[in-house]
Amino acid sequence: MDARSSGTLGGLGGPPDQIYMITGLRSSAAHSGSVDGAGRSDGRVADNGIEVEDLVRQFKNGPRAVDGISLEVKPGEIYGFLGPNGAGKSTTVHMLTTLLPPTAGVARVAGFDVATEGPLVRRVLGAALQEAALDPHLTGDEHMRLQTALHGLDHDDRRTRGRELIERVGLSDAADRKVGGYSGGMKRRLDLALALVHRPRVLFLDEPTTGLDPQSRSALWEEVTRLSKEDGVTVFLTTQYLEEADQLAERVGIIDAGKIVAEGTPAALKAEIGRPSVEVVPRDPAKAEQSAAILGRFGRPVPAAGEALGVRLSEGIDELVGIVRAFDEAEIELASLVLNEPTLDDVFLARTGHHLEGDEGAGDSGEMSLPDQAPAG
Amino acid sequence: MNEVTGEGRRPGDSYLPAALGVCWRYLHNLYTRPAQFIPSLLFPLFFLAAFAGGLSVVADSPGFDYYDYTAFQFCFVLIQASALAGVFAGFSIAADFELGMGRRMMLATPNRSAIVVGYAVGAASRLGLTWVVVTGVALLAGMSVGGGPVDLAGMYSLALLGNVAALLFSAGIALRFRSLQAGPLMQMPIFILLFLAPVYVPQALLTGWIEPAASVNPVTAILNAARSLLAGEPTGILAAYAVAFGLIALLALWAMSGLRRAEVAG
Ligand SMILES: Nc1ncnc2c1ncn2[C@@H]1O[C@H](COP(=O)(O)OP(=O)(O)O)[C@@H](O)[C@H]1O
Ligand SMILES: [Mg+2]
Repeated sequence: MDARSSGTLGGLGGPPDQIYMITGLRSSAAHSGSVDGAGRSDGRVADNGIEVEDLVRQFKNGPRAVDGISLEVKPGEIYGFLGPNGAGKSTTVHMLTTLLPPTAGVARVAGFDVATEGPLVRRVLGAALQEAALDPHLTGDEHMRLQTALHGLDHDDRRTRGRELIERVGLSDAADRKVGGYSGGMKRRLDLALALVHRPRVLFLDEPTTGLDPQSRSALWEEVTRLSKEDGVTVFLTTQYLEEADQLAERVGIIDAGKIVAEGTPAALKAEIGRPSVEVVPRDPAKAEQSAAILGRFGRPVPAAGEALGVRLSEGIDELVGIVRAFDEAEIELASLVLNEPTLDDVFLARTGHHLEGDEGAGDSGEMSLPDQAPAG
Repeated sequence: MNEVTGEGRRPGDSYLPAALGVCWRYLHNLYTRPAQFIPSLLFPLFFLAAFAGGLSVVADSPGFDYYDYTAFQFCFVLIQASALAGVFAGFSIAADFELGMGRRMMLATPNRSAIVVGYAVGAASRLGLTWVVVTGVALLAGMSVGGGPVDLAGMYSLALLGNVAALLFSAGIALRFRSLQAGPLMQMPIFILLFLAPVYVPQALLTGWIEPAASVNPVTAILNAARSLLAGEPTGILAAYAVAFGLIALLALWAMSGLRRAEVAG
């Protein structure tokens, strides 16, 4: 699946900004607006933000899964932690949620040190981990009952809170069925509801949409956005999906092999890469070679899907007119011409030398990634 | 709408609800799945039937000075069944940590020792039914009771302490290995300890290597005291309680250090 946001020729000739708008991306203004919109002065960062300095996790007889990362998530912000399988995303989440002590470095969640103030950290955070740990023998309601008890909610609060959340994630009809019979998407939704019972100020979601169908995915995006915008919850969300980081997160940290290779708003990250690419499909497949030669005059070839030919524009968007003219002069008819804005994958490629989504094309089948290996001992 | 919770509350405020939540789930799963529960009841009954029935000739041997062989065996089976209930709760802890629910509890519970306490309360609560069944069967088998209510309360209390000790021991193993494969490691030491006590004949009649083993075995003190209470002739009660509480104190440290190990393992 092509996760890149692409726009058609519709924007041709307009000023660059306008083209970005038509590509359907959230404009950079929307991004910076919401970051600033959280509108809290630095003094409140400690309130429900996340601060991480040189965090390291070295597994015994295992990899240095997290290798000195530093980051800051502002209160109320949605932070996307993007990286391929095995990059160290879950290990980071486990350290920030006090499930795993850091080997070195400092991390504070809502101002509390994860290493020394575990109970206080746990009180303010909610988490839906990569493998939703649910008891197949309990119903949805019974999970709520357990979770509200674990958090020590008042008795009166438990019932109403449980009902409210079950309803919010659309599980009212399944609430008294055993979780063993739930679908993957239902389990995710229940897990999210459980993570919210104590009204956490900071929410960790570890690959919340991996394996979800598109509808469930966008429903979850909506809910996450609502939590951040309406409730002011800080969200730390890991994902392997470019699209998710791009559309949902206000700021993105890209992690590879335990290190953060890039950080910023999606718009800023992509702007660093700068140049967009163009993909064309000649109407007559026999003209592919000739078409490639024409494109080659405008930049470096980049891989494209199917019949399409791609080029990363060396000068920028202004060259589009030249490309169209060149094909016109060569009398090659085009079945399509697509302008692709740089994607986070391009950012990833530029920083690491390899693609984020491997050859197997993660994300097309909705397959679950393998659970963390947890060797005994 | 999402008003910040509990600014004025301390993590300790959720200790009891959390422990009760863990306990509730444990009992709920136990009683809604008879396949889990029945075997743990049948096992001690099998012992009672086999020993009290088959070995009752022991009561005729010279030097056997207890008043009733079924009652003699009953005390052992009561303590064994109670300890076993603790071990079974240990299995549940191991399964929870193997299958992920452990992580949910570790994440949601500010004060994590509440998890172990919750299981302990659960393991102790399930004793009620175990005691009723074991005692009922022994009475049906013709056991006579020598002691009065206070004696019996003392006897059942000793069984309860044995249950707590076995649970803490098993929890320590479960939290270290976090896998059901560690089941034998929870069960075997407790079985060995139980059978290195005067199971079939009074301590005075033991011979060979088992005699010194039994005399230092903490189970011996507890078992002898329980039998004396059932007979209505209490002896060595204070010592038995001291041994039981000492054991529990040590094993609580063992369980809590296991919890620390589980915490750093992730
Ligand atoms: N408990 C563990 N023991 C040893 N190695 C581990 C453990 N958990 C994860 N790892 C390793 O650490 C690396 C990062 O894993 P993880 O944080 O799960 O990555 P991600 O969530 O980004 O897919 C991987 O190489 C993984 O095999
Ligand atoms: Mg992961």
